[in-house]
Amino acid sequence: MTATAAAPMLRSRGLSRYFGAVPALHGVDLEVLPGERRAILGPNGAGKSTLFNLIAGDLAPSEGTVELFGRDVTVLAVRKRARLGLGRTYQTSRVLGGLSVEDNLYLAVLGARRGHLRLLRGGSERAIRKRAREVAEQVGLADRQHAVAGSLSHGEQRQLEIGLALAPSPRLLMLDEPAAGLSRAERLSLTKMLLELDREVTLIIIEHDMDVALTVAEHVTMLHQGEKLLEGTPQEIRANKMVHDLYLGNTHGEG
Amino acid sequence: MRLSVPVRLVLSAALVAALALVPAVFTTYFTSAVAVRALVFGLAAVSLTFLAAYGGIVSLAQTGLYGIAGFLMARFIVTNGMDPILAAVLAIAIAVMFGLLFGAIVSGSEGIYLLMITLALGVITYYFFSQSGSFGGHEGINGVSAPGFVGNPVTHPAAIYEVLLACSVIAYVGVRLLARTNFGLALQGVRDDPVRMRALGFNVRLHRTLAFAAGALIAGLAGVLGTWADTRISPGTIQVSQVIQLMTIAVIGGLYRIEGAWVGALVFTLLDTYTRGITARFETWIGIVLLVILILSPDGLTGLASRVFTLVRRRGGATPTPSSPTPADDAATVPDPEQVGTGSGQGQVAR
Amino acid sequence: MLTRRGPALLSWLLLAFAIVWVAIKAFGQGFGISGNGPQFVITALNGVSLAALYFITASGFTLIFGLMRVVNMAHGSLYLLGGYVALDLVNHGMGWWGAMVLAALITGAVGLLVHQALLRWNQGQDLRQALITIAVATILADQMIVHFGATPSSLTPPAELANSIGLGLYHLEYPVFRLFIIGAALVVALVLWLVIRFTRFGMIVRAGVDDRAMTSSLGINVPLVFGGAFFIGAALAGLGGVMGGTILSLAPGQDDQFLLSSLVVVIVGGLGSLRGAAVGALLLGLIEQLSAVYLPQQFTNDSILLTFILLVVVLAVRPQGLFGRRT
Repeated sequence: MTATAAAPMLRSRGLSRYFGAVPALHGVDLEVLPGERRAILGPNGAGKSTLFNLIAGDLAPSEGTVELFGRDVTVLAVRKRARLGLGRTYQTSRVLGGLSVEDNLYLAVLGARRGHLRLLRGGSERAIRKRAREVAEQVGLADRQHAVAGSLSHGEQRQLEIGLALAPSPRLLMLDEPAAGLSRAERLSLTKMLLELDREVTLIIIEHDMDVALTVAEHVTMLHQGEKLLEGTPQEIRANKMVHDLYLGNTHGEG
Repeated sequence: MRLSVPVRLVLSAALVAALALVPAVFTTYFTSAVAVRALVFGLAAVSLTFLAAYGGIVSLAQTGLYGIAGFLMARFIVTNGMDPILAAVLAIAIAVMFGLLFGAIVSGSEGIYLLMITLALGVITYYFFSQSGSFGGHEGINGVSAPGFVGNPVTHPAAIYEVLLACSVIAYVGVRLLARTNFGLALQGVRDDPVRMRALGFNVRLHRTLAFAAGALIAGLAGVLGTWADTRISPGTIQVSQVIQLMTIAVIGGLYRIEGAWVGALVFTLLDTYTRGITARFETWIGIVLLVILILSPDGLTGLASRVFTLVRRRGGATPTPSSPTPADDAATVPDPEQVGTGSGQGQVAR
Repeated sequence: MLTRRGPALLSWLLLAFAIVWVAIKAFGQGFGISGNGPQFVITALNGVSLAALYFITASGFTLIFGLMRVVNMAHGSLYLLGGYVALDLVNHGMGWWGAMVLAALITGAVGLLVHQALLRWNQGQDLRQALITIAVATILADQMIVHFGATPSSLTPPAELANSIGLGLYHLEYPVFRLFIIGAALVVALVLWLVIRFTRFGMIVRAGVDDRAMTSSLGINVPLVFGGAFFIGAALAGLGGVMGGTILSLAPGQDDQFLLSSLVVVIVGGLGSLRGAAVGALLLGLIEQLSAVYLPQQFTNDSILLTFILLVVVLAVRPQGLFGRRT
């Protein structure tokens, strides 16, 4: 292992974002090492999605820096971060509703490669299609490849959503509540898929469903009111009284 | 309701062959007043439906781009004595450059913002040509000669008709092929969800800008051919009412289907030619037709037709096939035709 | 989000160049009465009064958008309708003032009718609504030709505003009516500001601009407020039409002109922003009037290009307009 391989995949320093005067996130330091499975937990409004949006570049931080793969990306455009090897999903599915599942995944693979504007089909097209089919299989949509994404069921759209993030073979994968709205069976197969995920891929997951989150994650970061409350292993988190009071005992829905 | 590919190819070829016979079968008046004009309108409207169907961009600047190509070519031919073909190519190239410029300006906007900005661009283009001394002011430029093989389009419209038909087929096939390229697929991705496309690594603004340039190519082609057919162009050709007229044509046919452009153009031209004798208030009726379509069937006549077709097949006992159309076909339609750009959805966020 | 320093710097340079250019042309021969100073004062006042007219009209456009996200493409037609209605009333013996008030009310009523009949049930489908208002504009434009003809006409200002007064500068005189329009724009701005700032109605309007979802969850009679805003917005277009019909002319095509000016004003200023509308109107009015005088002779006919450049520069630096909010 070289020194660069041990460098964190993600490092944030004093990351803050204010909406007007209201801090959605305040002074968050985060370090995620290669191959880690990290869960970000916290009640509604804790700043979890804001954190994702700051890391991916959909929002600009008010203060602080973001480093991806050892490189400062604080002012880098969203698409350039994606091309560095960052894949993400959204809390509400953002699939390309007018295109087939296969074309969705085709674009997801293409996005990380060259030739976005190519007009002639080259040999690369076959390779991309092949990869798209592999991903469709991986997320359980092998028999739905020709369906238009907009016509998929909610569960299938969540599967495709993960497929879109996985297809470009990202080094860092960020999932924003992947289990939201899924049936019990669907959650189980989601958990299984995440457990089988290649160790080359580093995973950060926001999840309200404790079964999914604490099964998959080896390391947990708790956010509360925009600040980092504590970090620890799933066992430590389960045992922590503060977490119980704030969150686990709380039976409200997801948001 | 999907026919197999070979069957569709044969049917399309038959349709084009039948259309090619129009000048031989119909009168010169019909050819010139209806057929030629419908094809010019259709081509201009395709530049609009192409952007709408594949890019989710509803642009009111297409008439302006038509005018840029038409006026420049007219000036090159009449004032500079340039060869008509060379003038046309040059004029279209400049229109494409303006397409790039317009595209770069509007590519950061979506939905109604884009609609407003493109309308402003279209109207500014009109005022430029009506005020500027170099393009004949309100008179415009008369006596624009077409290339030799077109002859005199006014007395013998058959040749310009066939040229227009050929260009329409090329434009249609070109757009369909473009939709299957990496660029075309990515453009449809941008239409469906620009935020997602950015997160996948695509340059959303670049795709929109290039789409605009492609639209300008079609609009410029229409401008050049339309000016040849009319032998003249004046600011009246691109004034606000004409901008609205083009939008009306696209909406009548179906804004989100490229074929809709020709359907709308034909219906519009027929109405225009045969109802002017009945009513002096043609504009009012066109406004009412537009209104009724927007209220009843926002996806226009082609949308209406495909819905009726689906309904008839369901009734006829055919097995309902909810979700296995080929991707190539559905690429040309927006997911939910009921919702003419329910703009403020997710895609709208990233202005 | 990320500041774009290059285009911003360039646009400031462009603005500075334009100001220096005009200043040299205007005062290059000194500030005395023999120089071009007097011409500058008149041109600048013309620009400001035109801007005032643009503001009155565009404020209605931006109000409607700010609350309901409706781009009313028939706004120019409502402007022209207001002017024509006032002209008709004056021709039937009514005084200018009465005609102004009544014309604004009638135009507001027409706007309200359009909203109730065609826009209320498809709230949220903004593109469809914009296209519907385009259809309305087509119908209105054609029907106005039927009822008011196509020959340009204009309103005569009321006797008490028909004269010119001395400006106390270079012995210049200036039409009172144009100064009146500037005053009217200030009143409109003040009233709208007070209403938006301090009333319950204004609170809903602001909520609408800030957060759409909140508007409907406020538990207030939203349809009534929407209808009211549409009425006021359309009435402002009509009021603009009466003023414009008095200093400019009433003719087919004026509707397009004022739709364009309203569009440019709000695109430049930022949709839904009253302050933006004021700044946008000032920029547009001044550019149009100053360019007619200070552009080199051979470019005078191409002055529309300056409007284009204004649009390009603003959108390059701030796609959401000068005072627009990024959503």
